[in-house]
Amino acid sequence: MPITFHLKRPPTVPLEAEVLSPDVVGSLTNSEIRSLTVYHGKRQLPLSEFFDVEGEQSDDLVFHGALNKVRWVGRAMSRGSITVHGDVGMHLGAHMSGGRIEVHGNASDWVGGEMKKGLIHVHGNAGGQVGAAYRGSNIGMKDGVILVDGSAGLEVGMRMRRGTIVIGGPARDFVGLQMKGGTIVLLSGAEIRTGAWMNRGTIISLQPLQLMPTFACSGVQNPVFVNLYSRFLQSWGIHLPFAASEGVYRQYRGDLAVSAKGEILIWQPA
Amino acid sequence: MGGKVTCTLGEVKQRADFIIYWGGNPAECHPRHFTKYTIMQKSRFLPRGRKDRTMVLVDIRETKSAKAADIFLQIRPGKDFELITILRALIKGQPVADEQIAETGLSRAVVDDLIARMKRAKFGCMFFGMGLSMTRGKHMNSAALLCLAAEMNAFTKFVAMPMRGHGNVTGADVIMRWQTGFPFGISFNRGYPRYNPGEFSTVDVLVRGDCDAAFIIGADPGATMPQPAIDHLARIPTIVLDPHVTHTSRIARVHITTAPQGIAAPGTAYRMDELPMPLKPALKSPYPSDEEVVRRINEAIARKPFWLPDGRQPQMVATLG
Repeated sequence: MPITFHLKRPPTVPLEAEVLSPDVVGSLTNSEIRSLTVYHGKRQLPLSEFFDVEGEQSDDLVFHGALNKVRWVGRAMSRGSITVHGDVGMHLGAHMSGGRIEVHGNASDWVGGEMKKGLIHVHGNAGGQVGAAYRGSNIGMKDGVILVDGSAGLEVGMRMRRGTIVIGGPARDFVGLQMKGGTIVLLSGAEIRTGAWMNRGTIISLQPLQLMPTFACSGVQNPVFVNLYSRFLQSWGIHLPFAASEGVYRQYRGDLAVSAKGEILIWQPA
Repeated sequence: MGGKVTCTLGEVKQRADFIIYWGGNPAECHPRHFTKYTIMQKSRFLPRGRKDRTMVLVDIRETKSAKAADIFLQIRPGKDFELITILRALIKGQPVADEQIAETGLSRAVVDDLIARMKRAKFGCMFFGMGLSMTRGKHMNSAALLCLAAEMNAFTKFVAMPMRGHGNVTGADVIMRWQTGFPFGISFNRGYPRYNPGEFSTVDVLVRGDCDAAFIIGADPGATMPQPAIDHLARIPTIVLDPHVTHTSRIARVHITTAPQGIAAPGTAYRMDELPMPLKPALKSPYPSDEEVVRRINEAIARKPFWLPDGRQPQMVATLG
């Protein structure tokens, strides 16, 4: 049976609650969990001020309520699962190295910031900097999977090195900014400057993109790895076309301002 | 990204033979810039003054500054980042298609000429204004220009400098930087400074309604910030320290009139090249200085017990990455 958290009252200012992680609460009793310290603005308060806690000792956490101002949920978690029924605030699953997070609502900025492993699935929209590196840091997401069913904000996958990000809805500017590796799949395309300054990595878009002038077309093909990716993503109900009968991928190399090792594949249906 | 390659305005005055103004209108916004530091001055290394210097203006419209420029490059709105990225590729000898260059509003010949002049210069300087830093792409536009300046140093000496706004905005950045290590967008709520623009920068905090009080010194966000931010300022207790009645002071709960810095109160202002300039007051004012008001507020807060129920000092719990 999971540990269930019901938000009693919405925080008036951001609530920093990095203790809401299976690694911290998994081995504690409910009374110990209630006395964990969270930051409401600058004030240190017990968790019980904001949440009702029920259930038994478990690595599975379930949250109910509008957690828009609750930040750092699942920070650095390495095991277990988190399910949020409602919206959630910034830095969801940042630095996580394992486990699974599912949000039945929207998430704010920095979903999976610098995550190392694990799975994050946001059924609604996400903010900016999904799987990105924090300011001043060179490397973003290192591994794992982030799925966003809805739209996403700026700088998705900024400086990511490995892992997979799938955005179901439209994404905003600078997708894959300074990307160093990994794969970003855009099911509904993105606004401008996609792949700006990317060093390596792959961006796949099923919709036409307005590319940077420093990307050069290098042919039309259906790479074999798309087939593998398609199978990998099928378990979440995501269809990535790869058959020649369905269409082809137009391949662009760039960014020439930094290197020509990144690639953007844009799907052209038959 | 490689940080900011920069210098003082004195060095620009003495050495810069190639000057680019990007997204700025110094003739109207910084009227002394041309005459004191950049194009008009004769110097030890540029004894013929204006004749020894080349000035390029890059902007989306022909402003008054265009008359002072040797070369005026009118680009399409929102194409600054693309043009800078093209320049970064071309200086390294990477191919970029003519039609891609034409998308920015310039021809290949013009861009090639610009690159040749940049590489030929002995000391190049790029000044950028809000036309670059506050249009779509914002911080990435500035980062692109700073990167271009850094990469040009593979060929010749090149620096970049922002054209800072009125008041002491550079001073605020410099002081925050040497006190905390970060220039802006800092949170102290955990007892130590944390930096994350977008999360902790003032406009974002106000738009999201993440603060329950505001203390504003010598600034007028009520005149410049988006409406949701102004609405939040009106909702929460806002305290303003300002010599004048401003848009912000009108919506504030408390407005403390202070002596104007540099006119009736001493202090230090930082020039756009981050040089501190001492200010000596010429007049006396019946009002206290900003510093005195802040010190007295600080002393009053220090006399209060800590906010924990038993008056204990709060402890740091964890360090966030």
